[in-house]
Amino acid sequence: MKKNKKDKLTWRRLDNSAKIFPMSAGKRYSTVFRLSVLLKEEVQPENLKEAVIQTLERYKFFKVKMKSGFFWYYLEHNTKEPIIEEERDYPCKYIDPKTNNGYLFKVTYFKNKINIDIFHALTDGNSGTTFFREIVYTYLELIYKEDLKTENRQLRKLEYSIEDSYIKNYDKKAKSNASGKIAYELKGKKIKLGAISVIHEIIDLEQLKEESKKNNATITQYLTAVLMYAIYNQNYIKYKGKKPIKICIPVNLKKYFQSNTMSNFFSYITLVADMHNTEIDTFEKMLEFVKGEFEERLKEEEIIKTMSTNVKIGSNFFIKVVPLILKNILVRISYIIIRKYTTITYSNIGRIGIIGDYKKYIDYFLMLIAPEPVEKIKCSSCSFENKMVFTFTSILDDNSIEREFYKFLTNRNIKVNIESNGVLDDISTEIK
Amino acid sequence: MIYPQKLNSKKSAKIIYSLLSLSIIFAIIMITINRLTTPNIPWAAFINLGMIYTWIVVLFSIKRGINLAGHILLQTIAISAIIIYIDYKIGFKGWSINLGFPIILIVANITMLILTIISYKKYIKYAIYQLFIVGISLLPILLILEGKISNNLLNQIAIVISIANLVISLSLSYKDIKDAIIRNFHM
Repeated sequence: MKKNKKDKLTWRRLDNSAKIFPMSAGKRYSTVFRLSVLLKEEVQPENLKEAVIQTLERYKFFKVKMKSGFFWYYLEHNTKEPIIEEERDYPCKYIDPKTNNGYLFKVTYFKNKINIDIFHALTDGNSGTTFFREIVYTYLELIYKEDLKTENRQLRKLEYSIEDSYIKNYDKKAKSNASGKIAYELKGKKIKLGAISVIHEIIDLEQLKEESKKNNATITQYLTAVLMYAIYNQNYIKYKGKKPIKICIPVNLKKYFQSNTMSNFFSYITLVADMHNTEIDTFEKMLEFVKGEFEERLKEEEIIKTMSTNVKIGSNFFIKVVPLILKNILVRISYIIIRKYTTITYSNIGRIGIIGDYKKYIDYFLMLIAPEPVEKIKCSSCSFENKMVFTFTSILDDNSIEREFYKFLTNRNIKVNIESNGVLDDISTEIK
Repeated sequence: MIYPQKLNSKKSAKIIYSLLSLSIIFAIIMITINRLTTPNIPWAAFINLGMIYTWIVVLFSIKRGINLAGHILLQTIAISAIIIYIDYKIGFKGWSINLGFPIILIVANITMLILTIISYKKYIKYAIYQLFIVGISLLPILLILEGKISNNLLNQIAIVISIANLVISLSLSYKDIKDAIIRNFHM
């Protein structure tokens, strides 16, 4: 392939949030998330590769490799072809650019499933979904040429920018509202040999909606409360926890600000449940607590405070002038402490909308986040049609939290099916 | 099934403990043979040290997802070359090919065998390295036939272990080995 000189020279800065990821990432902390789609028919690898190549031409934003400058990492146009492989390893593993033609995402397939693992330095879950959806559309158009045509959806193609929306929207005067307490860390034996357990709980969305509505809660609030309840009953009490359970919920900032950037543009809220010093010990109390916290922390001024604090760190002159080699060391050291401020992360990217004609070829979508040595379990969810998939990725050699979560929902007559990668025992058959 | 089959955590723990027990039994057998045959040369101690080293490297590499087989092949060639060079430089007493080389081969083959058993589902990644190591492990046959070796025992053990390794690996992963050969040597 002839290299375009202009393409070779194209580069861009990492957005404010992405700056930190390459410094803190490695084999232990991959900061990779995965999106998967379950199709109705087996994946054809050649067509998948073609779909990825075509999509990259439309979304050049993703056709990049990471380079290190003197002060910061940056992204440069990648002229190589992406590598498409059959899935062999555990999900959300560190993407080694050397074995991936420099790309910061990796597309794999297994039977009916297409996966994309994305390094968070490249983009967030929201834009990652846009890119992945485009791959899926293109792939389906290559397979079902007669039925599906690209022209039918040209008008719906998203116009996007690559701006750093953090810099554009942050408030210089905002003050931090972060809680200073170290979080309760999930206890228990880890799975040996670096294995990751994946358990998907495929929930009937209509029934879940109804149950949430009955409790005057949103789906995210309801599931967060169920998760807190499961942690409290199966880990916190068992190991006599004293520190607060802190649940980190990423927030899509594109809903709050006018932005069509493909770069990262998310913040987070942290729910701090001090179980030891308060009486939040029943599900009802937990749900009330979660609803209150959501209401308080999702206020625009609160979101701006959190976002602005992080932006101010990244744009501080004294931090800017520290050479990258030193920044890498300092960030890694400071992350040993920063990671102790969260018990668990739960990210809900919500409904994945698909154009009508394409729906019949898709069963459901999945989202996964990489667990870490401190945050041993991470949770994520997304929905398609009437299926909401709540996923636990874990390095704990114990599935009691996942089992409790399943038991709780099924006891309330919500239909839940289980899929897993078999590392831990099947929780649905265990209960029967 | 929406994921490639992975070893259940309980099963993998069982395999690790079984292999650890086998290693201990093997170490005792080596010490016994050493005591009964050549008690003045402590070669069993070197094998056992090599096995401890192997356990550390194998567990670390699997945990970190490193291409262990490639490292083993590289280390086998590099360490063998170094010890033969040292032996040659100090007047060639033959200890490198009588003791050092077979010990390295025994350790490399046992490591590959552990790796094959633990992660045989993704064996295709290791197949080609495995074949190279078995190939190198058969070199002592040439050395014995050429009459270059004064102490045959360790070299015979190394050959037997490498053949056993090949047979076990073939029986576990015949299709993967065939696929790896076609993939790497297609014209």
